[in-house]
Order: sequence, then C-alpha cells, then structure tokens
Amino acid sequence: MKTVEREGDNRLQVRAGENEPLAFAELYEQNFDRIYAFIVRRVGSQDHAQDLTAEVFHQALASIGTFRWREAPFSSWLYGIAANVLAGHWQKLGRNPAQIEEDWDKGASEEIERRAILAELVESLMPDQRMVIVRRFIEQRTIREVATELGRSEGAIKQLQLRALENLREKMGRKI
Amino acid sequence: MNRQADADELNIEMELLLAGGKAAMGGKWHALTKIAAELREFPNPEFKIRLKAELLEEYPITAARQASFEQVTGAVVFAEILPSLGGNNFRIFPADHRSFMVSFISHTLLIVLIASGIWVGRGTALKSTPTPSDLTYLPSAGGGGGSGDHSQIPATKGTSPKMSNQQLAPATIVVRRSDPLLPVQPTVVGPPDVKLPQSDHIGDMISSNVVIPSNGSGDGGGAGSGSGTGLGSGTGLGYGPGSDIGAGGGVFTIGRGITAPKAIYDPEPEYSEEARRIKQQGIVTLSVIVDQQGRARDIHVARSLGMGLDEKAVDAVRMWKFSPGMKDGIPVAVRVNIEVSFRLY
Repeated sequence: MKTVEREGDNRLQVRAGENEPLAFAELYEQNFDRIYAFIVRRVGSQDHAQDLTAEVFHQALASIGTFRWREAPFSSWLYGIAANVLAGHWQKLGRNPAQIEEDWDKGASEEIERRAILAELVESLMPDQRMVIVRRFIEQRTIREVATELGRSEGAIKQLQLRALENLREKMGRKI
Repeated sequence: MNRQADADELNIEMELLLAGGKAAMGGKWHALTKIAAELREFPNPEFKIRLKAELLEEYPITAARQASFEQVTGAVVFAEILPSLGGNNFRIFPADHRSFMVSFISHTLLIVLIASGIWVGRGTALKSTPTPSDLTYLPSAGGGGGSGDHSQIPATKGTSPKMSNQQLAPATIVVRRSDPLLPVQPTVVGPPDVKLPQSDHIGDMISSNVVIPSNGSGDGGGAGSGSGTGLGSGTGLGYGPGSDIGAGGGVFTIGRGITAPKAIYDPEPEYSEEARRIKQQGIVTLSVIVDQQGRARDIHVARSLGMGLDEKAVDAVRMWKFSPGMKDGIPVAVRVNIEVSFRLY
C-alpha cells in the first residue's frame, strides 16, 4: 500500500503550531482522519470515537509546548495521546488497557491509512456526490430524506450514490 | 442492465448494510459495499469543523500560557535537562508531571513578579508608537489616546487639537517650555479629515476641571489621565478613552504595512431553497470589518445575487473566524471584501 502520510508535519511546522493558530489548524487537518480512524477501529461507535478524538486534540493543544522532536513524527506523539485516552476509556468500562498495545499490529496501521485516504477522497468528490455520501452513510438518512433535502427524485439520488461509490472505488484503486 | 437498474440494485445492498448488516462478501457490489461499510463509521463533517473551531477558540489562552511558560522558565531547556519530568513524548502512558509543573510555574511566576516590580521601580518603559496609515474611521467606535504629567489635578476641560497624520508636538495643555526654537501646533494622531469639536482651549472634553490649567494625572507628555502623547483617558497618540491612534477606533484597509486577515474557520454557506430551485449560481461580495479578535462585523452586501443567497452568505461569514490583520505586529480592525461563491453541480 502506498502511504499518503504528508511529510509536511515536520519540525518547523510543529514548532509553528506552538505559537501560531493557523499552523496548529494545519496539523489538526493533517492528523484528524488518522487519529479518528485509530480510535473508531477500537471503540466501534461513531459517538464514542468523536468524543475521544476531541479529547485527544484538546490534550494535544494543551501540551503541544512539551512536544520534543526526536526523529518520530508528530503523528506518533498524537497516537501516544490517543492510546492514553483510550486506556482511560477502557478503564472506565472495566476493560484491560494493555489490550491496546497488543492491538497495534501492521494490519491496523494499514487500515488506518486506508480510512485516511478514503476520507480525503470523500472531500474530493463533486459536491452533490459528497452530500449524498455524507447524508446516506455517515448520517444514515434514507434515500427519501436525502431526495427531499436536495430537491431531487429518489432515482436521481440512487444514481448519485452509485456514481459516488464508483468514484471512490476507482480513486482508491489508484491510491492503494 | 441500465444505470438506473444498477443504482436500484446497489441501493438494496446499501439498505441491508445500513439496517445493521455486514458488508456482503463477494458478488457484484462487494467492493462498493465494503467502502460504504467504512463510511458508516466516519465522523460527521460538522463534528470535524466544530472541533477545529473549539480548538482555535481555546488556542489563544493555551498558547499565551505556553508562551509565558517558555519565556519565564525556558521550558524547552528544562524538558531536555529533566526529560522524566518535563518531557512527554512517545510514551503510551506518560508519567503525570502536572503537579511538579504547576509548582514550578507558580514559583517562577512569583520570582518574575518580584523581579518585574524592581524593574518597573527603575522607571523603564517601552511604548509602541503606531504611525497613521490609510485609515477610515467609524464614528461609533472607541479608540484614542491620552497622557498627562502626573499632576494631582485633572486635565483642564477643553477640546481636542486638530488631527494629523503625524504628531510633531503632543497635545499638552500646560506647556512647560515657553520659548521653543521652532513653534509647532499640538495635534493628536488620526485622519486629518475627521473633524472634532474645536475651540481656543485644548483640553479634555469630559473633564470636570474648568478652572485650573493642568495636564492631568497621566504620563507621557500629553494631557489627561491616560498614557502616551494624546489626550484623554486612553493610551496612545489619539484622543479619547480608547487606545492607539484616532478618535473613533481605526478601521484600516489592506496595504502600506497593514496585512490582510486570513480565514481560519470558514464553513461553507448553505444554499437557499429558492436559489436551488431556479439553479441560481454566482458570487456574493460582502464588505466586512474583521476586528482585532478575528470576528466579522459590520457586514454589508457589496454585490448581490438575490434569491436568499445574500442572507446565506452573511450568515456564513458571520460564523467565520479569522486571524486578524496586523499593523506593526499589533492586531487591527481591517475592512475587506469577501467573495462567497455559490455553485450547483
């Protein structure tokens, strides 16, 4: 699998993120999808994953001044925070946090990368196709609801759904 | 089989998936169903935007705290010297060093406070001196400046001297040196075309002292209770209770040392139903003041599209957050034109 990890998350950028909101916003954009994928793969629920992802980035912002560059990328530091947050989550649920480290295998990182690519590709879809994907699968609305909202026929929404998924498959094939 | 039949068939698979089923293995729609199954677990796009906005809202407080921490304690060096206490990297379960940090910061701040008191006692002061630019002024806003010469008596009541692009002589009521080599009229800094009430007596319009000549209790060489060389209770070179220059809160335009604000949170506008129905597309241009806090205010439609899109554009831009325009490293209010694009595909 080709990696799309951006090398922009470099020392200078992280340094800038400590003092410059725009730079921090860029670090957020670069890492959000991977951190979310890392978490949702383990908790399996969109709501929990969103809460825990928010906690990770709040903690990262609160302690970005303590980040020290030691060859590993910024994302590794974020994964560390995410693992910590997940450990706290498991502890609250009475589960063994050590399971997280065992779960950190090669297959997991490939899946995270695949989901990060997919998230980027959804962003690159035509607006009406993206809207159908978001409403239909992420918000899990019915074809009728989406059709009503967009002022289109149900048949048109089904065709948009088909085209959007085909586009994603084709672009994924080129990326992976 | 035609496209509509394909779309219908795929949708049956999608309905099964969304009803809680697993992605079907094999079959014509396997690859698409697998993608759809992954999409089900994606975060809501609004959540991603909202979290970013929350973090940026939180950023100034956090950054300021970190900046002061680093300046005061040299946290970088500290973390390198004592990595077990100051470092926090690449460990899955890092040690909790917050208690030590809090103690260290509070003690250091105490030392700095004591030291800064000694330093202030020496009378060292550093003031910025903003220069006028291509300003326009809003009559309703604050702003201005003030000063004085540590008199016990409030500044004498009077009116502001004229505004000028440059201040050659401060707005002083009581002139200590009466034989200047080159007499210069006192002024306050602001756009010369702004007319303030004028009289023969320079002074603070809101002062209660109408009798005794006094420059007021402030410092800096002008008149009033503030600081700087302006006039009034504010700080700076202007007139009134605000700060910096002018007499009504300067709003700048881009150029000549004024940098443009940048949008850091810019959610897209919604489409209005009526515009969607007739497939109206185009650009709404808004004239906006981006204030020092990075908020859009005083939004006017400069170029309209109609069909409810102007209102949608205004609603969207009102939610935007900017890093403000800067002048000499200081955030300033800047009027800019923003083009909001509406496209249907």
